[in-house]
Amino acid sequence: MNIIGPDALVFGVDDVEACAKYLVAFGLDPVGVDEKGGRFEALDGTGIVLRRRGDPSLPAPLETGAMLRQIVYGVADEATLGAVADELARDRQVQRRADGGIEATDDHGFALRFQRTIRRKLDLPGERVNAPGAPAQRGVNQIGVWQDMPAKPRTLSHVVCFVPDIAQAEAFYVNRLGFKVTDRLGNSGPFLRPAGTNDHHTLFFIQTPVYMKGCEHFAFHMGGPTELMLAGSRFIKAGYQSFWGPGRHKFGSNWFWYFNSPLGCHVEYDADMDQHDDEWAPRETPMSAEAAQAFLFEHREKWAPGGPPPGMGR
Amino acid sequence: MARFLCKLDDIADGEARAFGPFDGGRTKAFVVRKGEHIHAYWDACPHYGDTPMAWRTDAYLNAAGDRIVCASHGAEFEIETGRCLLGAALGKSLRPAPIEATANGELVLKG
Repeated sequence: MNIIGPDALVFGVDDVEACAKYLVAFGLDPVGVDEKGGRFEALDGTGIVLRRRGDPSLPAPLETGAMLRQIVYGVADEATLGAVADELARDRQVQRRADGGIEATDDHGFALRFQRTIRRKLDLPGERVNAPGAPAQRGVNQIGVWQDMPAKPRTLSHVVCFVPDIAQAEAFYVNRLGFKVTDRLGNSGPFLRPAGTNDHHTLFFIQTPVYMKGCEHFAFHMGGPTELMLAGSRFIKAGYQSFWGPGRHKFGSNWFWYFNSPLGCHVEYDADMDQHDDEWAPRETPMSAEAAQAFLFEHREKWAPGGPPPGMGR
Repeated sequence: MARFLCKLDDIADGEARAFGPFDGGRTKAFVVRKGEHIHAYWDACPHYGDTPMAWRTDAYLNAAGDRIVCASHGAEFEIETGRCLLGAALGKSLRPAPIEATANGELVLKG
């Protein structure tokens, strides 16, 4: 099944205005936004859809009241849509919408939608690094960073959900939808990659009590670690609250920086994730601070060694 | 020794305001004003124990302004008691911060 990854995440929120302001400050572009909600897009058209919590067009909420109301998967072709519909119709209701999309719920009750992907093909350079011993990636006289350089989320990378039964969650996505487990953090959960992408994960689960079922975070890919650092620094300067990072995860190798949000979950900038194919053998390690990251930093306001030149006095 | 933080009237009724961190610590405190009363807690969600709760400076309340919300995972707390009513910190409560409103309308940090 050629499922590529999340096209969109749909949220039903209490405060549309605050969430809209947040997502724009994060770097997403508002499309068709009014007081009832709208769409907030990364550069490739993937993104977040906001609606009011009580909006009747939304799928039913989880019993926990979590604000995540639907995960929308982009697939490559009609054949995949048909295969997903046939597979899920074996044991649950599958609705085919007028626009061709199909909707169902997973085994934990998360509402899913599958559609021909809306993502636009990006043609942008990644971060270019000059390193001794390797050919220069930036040409002579090309600078690597400037204060107001673009640092926009490029594409919706992944979503992480709290579930009470990791084995059940993993089995559904692996056995029914063809996802592959790339790695496992024991006591926590599996990193899952659908067949239509090489990204280390587009989906991850964390085991929690049932009353926490919902979304832990979602992440957008940036063009590289410099864009991630710049975007995160700008977000903090605008008054938003860092939760974890910046740092670099071990599994997936992706740089990370997580922020609190009014969407009831964390929101992450990530960059430079590993790519895998079916030859990859999953690793497994117990979850710990050591296992979760190669290194971790914390933001501070700009500072520089000060004082006058030696001998100049004060 | 009480330390002056602000005038009570610097905070609109029903709004929240953060202070600190104090004395080289890492944790802020925040107050929610309800009429002439305040409710003060450390800015540390009891789910993990020490993580900040606002999603933006001073943004500690839900849209209706009737609950404290942690912007980590959406846990909701009763303003008057700090008790978690919904979500990740169920069974736990916010830790009260030693901030008081004085008789002459000032907010002070005690201790």
